[in-house]
Amino acid sequence: MISVKHLSKVYRNGDKELTVLRDVNCEIGKGEVIGIIGPSGTGKSTFLRCLNRLEEPSGGRIEIDGVDILDRKADVNLLRRKMGMVFQNFNLFHHLTILDNITLCPRTLLGKSREEAEARAMELLQLVGLYDKAESLPAELSGGQKQRAAIARCLAMDPEIILFDEPTSALDPTMVSEVLVVIRRLAREGMTMAIVSHEMQFVRSVSTRIFFMNEGVIYEEGTPEQIFEHPQRPATVAFINRIRTLEFKLADKHFDLYGMFGQVGVFCNKYGLGNEMLTKVQHVMEEMLFEILPFCGPVTLTLDYSEKDFTLRLQFVQEGCAESVLEQIPNDNIPLKLVRGMCSSLRETEAGKILVEM
Amino acid sequence: MSGYRIILLLSLLLSACTGRQAVPDAMPTCLEELAGHTVAVAGGSSTDLLLSQYEGIDLMRINIGDMPVAVKSGRAEFAMMQEIQYDANQLDAQGFRKCFNGILKGLSAVAFRKDDVGICDEFNSFLREMRASGEYDRWYGNWIHQLDSMVVETEKLPAPTEGRKITVGITLVFPYIFIRNDSLSGMEIDLFNRFCRSKGYCPEYSIVQFPALIPSLNANKIDVILSHIMVTPERARQVLFSDEYMEGSQCCFGLNPEWEKSARAGIWTRTRESTRQNLVEEDRWKLLSGGLAVTLELSLLSLLLAIVLGVLLCYLRMRPKAAASGVTRIFVDVVRGIPVLVILMIMFYVIFAKVHLSGVTVAVFSFGLFYGACFSEVFRTGMLSVDRGQWEAGAAMGLSKMQVFRLIAFPQALKRIVPVFKGDVVSLIKNTSIVGYVAVLDLTSAGDIIRTRTLDAFFPLILVSIIYIILSRLSGGLLDTLDRKLNATK
Repeated sequence: MISVKHLSKVYRNGDKELTVLRDVNCEIGKGEVIGIIGPSGTGKSTFLRCLNRLEEPSGGRIEIDGVDILDRKADVNLLRRKMGMVFQNFNLFHHLTILDNITLCPRTLLGKSREEAEARAMELLQLVGLYDKAESLPAELSGGQKQRAAIARCLAMDPEIILFDEPTSALDPTMVSEVLVVIRRLAREGMTMAIVSHEMQFVRSVSTRIFFMNEGVIYEEGTPEQIFEHPQRPATVAFINRIRTLEFKLADKHFDLYGMFGQVGVFCNKYGLGNEMLTKVQHVMEEMLFEILPFCGPVTLTLDYSEKDFTLRLQFVQEGCAESVLEQIPNDNIPLKLVRGMCSSLRETEAGKILVEM
Repeated sequence: MSGYRIILLLSLLLSACTGRQAVPDAMPTCLEELAGHTVAVAGGSSTDLLLSQYEGIDLMRINIGDMPVAVKSGRAEFAMMQEIQYDANQLDAQGFRKCFNGILKGLSAVAFRKDDVGICDEFNSFLREMRASGEYDRWYGNWIHQLDSMVVETEKLPAPTEGRKITVGITLVFPYIFIRNDSLSGMEIDLFNRFCRSKGYCPEYSIVQFPALIPSLNANKIDVILSHIMVTPERARQVLFSDEYMEGSQCCFGLNPEWEKSARAGIWTRTRESTRQNLVEEDRWKLLSGGLAVTLELSLLSLLLAIVLGVLLCYLRMRPKAAASGVTRIFVDVVRGIPVLVILMIMFYVIFAKVHLSGVTVAVFSFGLFYGACFSEVFRTGMLSVDRGQWEAGAAMGLSKMQVFRLIAFPQALKRIVPVFKGDVVSLIKNTSIVGYVAVLDLTSAGDIIRTRTLDAFFPLILVSIIYIILSRLSGGLLDTLDRKLNATK
């Protein structure tokens, strides 16, 4: 149904260039529900908005049912009638009642009579649970109700696919589920959809396929199970496990330990790790860097914290090591004993690479 | 004409009401003795030039018609006007007295453009024939001694409606030229009508401010100046004077210290008397209703033009193309930076100087231009207030740009536009009051004409003010209704 090849999007502002989409390739078939996930700023929304040309792509091809929609002669407005879009900020027409919001486009574009359009609108309002809000103005509705009305507005055009651009991001947490229920129902009824969302559990359960986007490309794609249970590539793993990272590169022994302590403090504080953990981490860093590592070359220190299983790992990479660092240190070495006492495991995965799990 | 002038006059008459009357201890007997006093003169007139040469005289430049009010209120202690005007207005009977006279004895003539020698010769030969036949003496004597019968006679013999067209610039000063029963009368009108009849011309009279007469003539707005204009060497360098047809001199007058105020009539009687004098007598209400019609016509046409221009400028300003948008921005800034009165003058005397357009047309262009520039910014602010998401949502549904504009963006912008727009519309209506400067007889000018004739400042000004207030309220009310209707659908 939709085929995307080498899609790119570059924003130019004066001499500054910002590449949002580098090279996106994918196929979306009829009846599929595509969940699009990934870190912020990796082009998920831009990709979606390129599909109905709310953003003009910089390069590549998008074909819908074999028709190139980037062609000059393509009728964008006709194309958009078949593609509904649900926005983060609802974008209901402020000056019209909910009923008029829904009937405006069918009457203007599909030539439906008022009665016909209104009858259909009431059916749709029934479907999204807003039957009694037909005469209300958007301003009188809650966020969740607005988003459901916006979905009804989309459905009134009988679209072949609906694009959801973070449909629950602007909502109060208490209203998220009422919107998700409606989307889930559409999925059950076989509607083709592409959903950009940060609601991982929802995306996982509703999608038939997941696109994981990172740095302007579809970095990994697969079934929900593949992506969420067995992610293959490092960025996907980090994202799925919600791993937060802090990295230091130390050229030699003359580094700024207290500056590092400050940054580690901010990091631990941000993810709620507590003072006890912070003290332990600082001790481990001090012993490792001053007593254990030989500093025969630059050292890289990485802190990884997984918000999924709440584990913190420190990885020390000593470059310029031909053989194992730990094997050269006697077992009764006091600094090493201290470190072992403070962490749950300490091992050298390969020569010069020491992994400390707290 | 302009707002500032109305304020000046209102303050004049307020002080007249409070009765501040400065009766000088002794009446001056010559120009030298005017030193240390405030003297009202017609701005730009030869009296103005003469008195400017005397040190210590505090000059107050106003319209001749406003002089009695100025003196009565104490704003000016003395005033200078033509003796013939003083006599014809019967100012002696109203508590004034001539202090001295015979100043600036001079001769008045008709003025033509320098190159219009032919018509000037025709006028001179007409004057010679008139003097030879004795008709001239009858004309002069009858106008001085039997004014009312002459008015009737002039009415019976109106200006010819056929013949070569000639536009005549006039200023209204009794008894030379004035309006009675909604038509022009006066000794100069009578004289010129006789000339036109004898030489086959069809005159079209146009009321022009005195200082604007010579510029108007040289800008081809008028063909003749008929305004008891004194022949001076300075003026003769700019215009072609005919032979003189009238002699005149200026007198200085002040309040008569021996005048006893008659017992003041009750307020009701006074109002009734004012109404009769300012509206009923000589059908003066027709002047006002005619002026009101002109003001309405001007406001409505200007408003329409301004809206069209405003939409166009707003559209150009919002183009993504930097050139179109930049040029429009500069244009709008320039136009909005010039006072509307100055725009009107530039249009009248510079841009359309060589094109024969009526004052109303030029005024409509000027107001349309100025308010079009203002409206374009109002419209733009309104359009910018429409959230980008609304455009996107409309576009995503498959509506074309025009459809989104018509069905979504415009109705939303309108709600923000109307309240600001209302203020501008009311300001437009009120600002049309400056068109007197380009010889358009609108509501304010009509009030001015009545005032200079009846020498009553209070009634015409207050009446004109009330009419403006009603107009503003009506137009404001109309837009309020629209605003409420729009807000009913939020």
